[in-house]
Amino acid sequence: MSPSKRGPAAARGWVNYQIGGFCLETEWEVLPGQIMALFGPSGAGKTTLLRTIAGLLRPQNGHIEIGGQVVFDRERNVWEPPHQRRVGFLTQQYHLFPHLTVAGNIAYGLNRRNSGKTRGQVRELARRFQLEGLEGRRPSEISAGQQQRVALARALAPNPAALLLDEPFTSLDTELRRTLRSELRTSLAQANIPVIMVSHDIEEAVSIGDLVQVISHGKPQATGNPLQVLGQPGQGRVARLVGVENLLNLRVASRHPQDGTMICRSGGLQLEVPLGDPAEGDAVTVGLRASDIILADAEPRGSSARNRLSGLVTGVELRPPGYEVTLTCKDADLKCHITGASLNEMGISPGMNLWAVFKASSCFLVREEADSRDTLL
Amino acid sequence: MRNPFRASDCWGPAGATATGLYTLFIGLPILALLIKAAQQESFFGSITGEPVLLALRLSLVTSFISTLIVIVVGTPFARILARSNSWILRVVDHLVELPLVLPPVVSGVAMLLAFGRQGILGPTLSGLGISLPFTAAAVIFAQLFVAAPFYIRSAKLGFQSVEREYEDISQTLGVSPWNTFRRLTLPLAAPSLLTGIALAWARAISEFGATIMFAGNLTGKTQTMPLAIMSALETSLDTAVALSLLLLLGALLALIALGLITRRRWTAGV
Repeated sequence: MSPSKRGPAAARGWVNYQIGGFCLETEWEVLPGQIMALFGPSGAGKTTLLRTIAGLLRPQNGHIEIGGQVVFDRERNVWEPPHQRRVGFLTQQYHLFPHLTVAGNIAYGLNRRNSGKTRGQVRELARRFQLEGLEGRRPSEISAGQQQRVALARALAPNPAALLLDEPFTSLDTELRRTLRSELRTSLAQANIPVIMVSHDIEEAVSIGDLVQVISHGKPQATGNPLQVLGQPGQGRVARLVGVENLLNLRVASRHPQDGTMICRSGGLQLEVPLGDPAEGDAVTVGLRASDIILADAEPRGSSARNRLSGLVTGVELRPPGYEVTLTCKDADLKCHITGASLNEMGISPGMNLWAVFKASSCFLVREEADSRDTLL
Repeated sequence: MRNPFRASDCWGPAGATATGLYTLFIGLPILALLIKAAQQESFFGSITGEPVLLALRLSLVTSFISTLIVIVVGTPFARILARSNSWILRVVDHLVELPLVLPPVVSGVAMLLAFGRQGILGPTLSGLGISLPFTAAAVIFAQLFVAAPFYIRSAKLGFQSVEREYEDISQTLGVSPWNTFRRLTLPLAAPSLLTGIALAWARAISEFGATIMFAGNLTGKTQTMPLAIMSALETSLDTAVALSLLLLLGALLALIALGLITRRRWTAGV
């Protein structure tokens, strides 16, 4: 039974890997053609997870399936070494083999490298990854973007059953990242295999992942649709991990099931937020992304946005690509992201009085687990 | 052409003086050797004598064999040293470098005490009908002892310079550990390995102290080129000079080869 004859299969499994005081304890399931973005701070165990899946690290316990084949199962005493797992692996720096040409790198994982068939395969891959004409160059003689394409072509050449990408965009500049991101999506879609990509960039995770898993301290915190997980994360810990800028501690003042909203207050602050489980009088944490807030220099009338807060600008900070404005409303600080053009047009500077406007539906309730506050990063 | 001693560099004058003095210091003796050799009436006459040819042959054969053994044994050993962090291997690692700082004569005495007739292994060896001292095998032993660290050190650094990620990637591409070593690690570490081979061979062929202690100075049997030079110095200066010139040319060739090898370094991507 040759594994290459099988159709695409999901990559799934769970591992328990301990080293020193660190413990990685996680599970995953990625379908063919699906990209799972593994998101979390550095030291969370993302790269460690990729290395255990590739077989470069041996976990104490677990079960790993790739291409419909069990490559690791401690109880059944199964352990396939990396070169028999059919897992493509891309590192941050790509690690193209410096002593080989572009063509030599692409052909590296192919059998019978001098056969006509192999040469045809290399030519086809070079065409697919827009590397024509570069076949004879050394890795040091091509651009960073081209290096990434060579690394991808090299990883996909032996027809892997799954692909692991470890922050494939770190060594590129911002401009190139955006271009290559969509390019990568397209080529991965063609490959039709499960892909796991490590990222610590929220934008990257959302734009590439079909599925996002947030991981911290070696444990998965949330798994699901990227916009759900990262846009309006339900858990306090996840909210902090993905950098939700505004987390407000309020109390439910009144519930309005007919509107699907409720009013929450704290001090003089009053917010209308989507209706949730908490009863009147309960303490709630409301999350709000800085980019969902509109700033206005006069109270906007006749607007559909339900929340209008007046406040004092207490800080303006450069935060590429735009600016972060801190607006102090009563005793709460609101972080708002605006573009440089808006900042200049409105002449925003500390000491100004402004209005913050946002929809009730931009607010989301954050579940605070008992321990989330003291296990911050 | 740019002035190599830039004025902005605070080492300028001192550097220039030191460079000049050092060049003179190294160059003058070599020049003297060349002048003396040029003054000889029959250069070839003095090196075609039978003892000289025997010494030349012995030196070439023994240094070739000892370098070969160093490569065969030293390569896997260096590879293990390069990747290990166990304390035992770290101790071994330092032990390997001991012959580098030990006076070769001391190495010779130590070898006599270990492998000589009266040595620790002496009875065992003679029980097997083997007597090492004063044989060509002893010459090879002495060369191995002093030359091996040069190769092992260089090879270890070479293997360490190959980032582990390269080998990881290679394996995820379906290439077995052995083929990864053959197709990736070896070529990437090649410049260091070749440097090590050249250094070890040069050290082996110039070996004197340990050889004379452990193998003796028997013409045609254990008398290598350096020993022949010393013996010749007592009778004929011309022969000594001719032999020295021969070794000098060999060393020069090795140096040029080394330069050519090490110039070809791989520049890593990104």
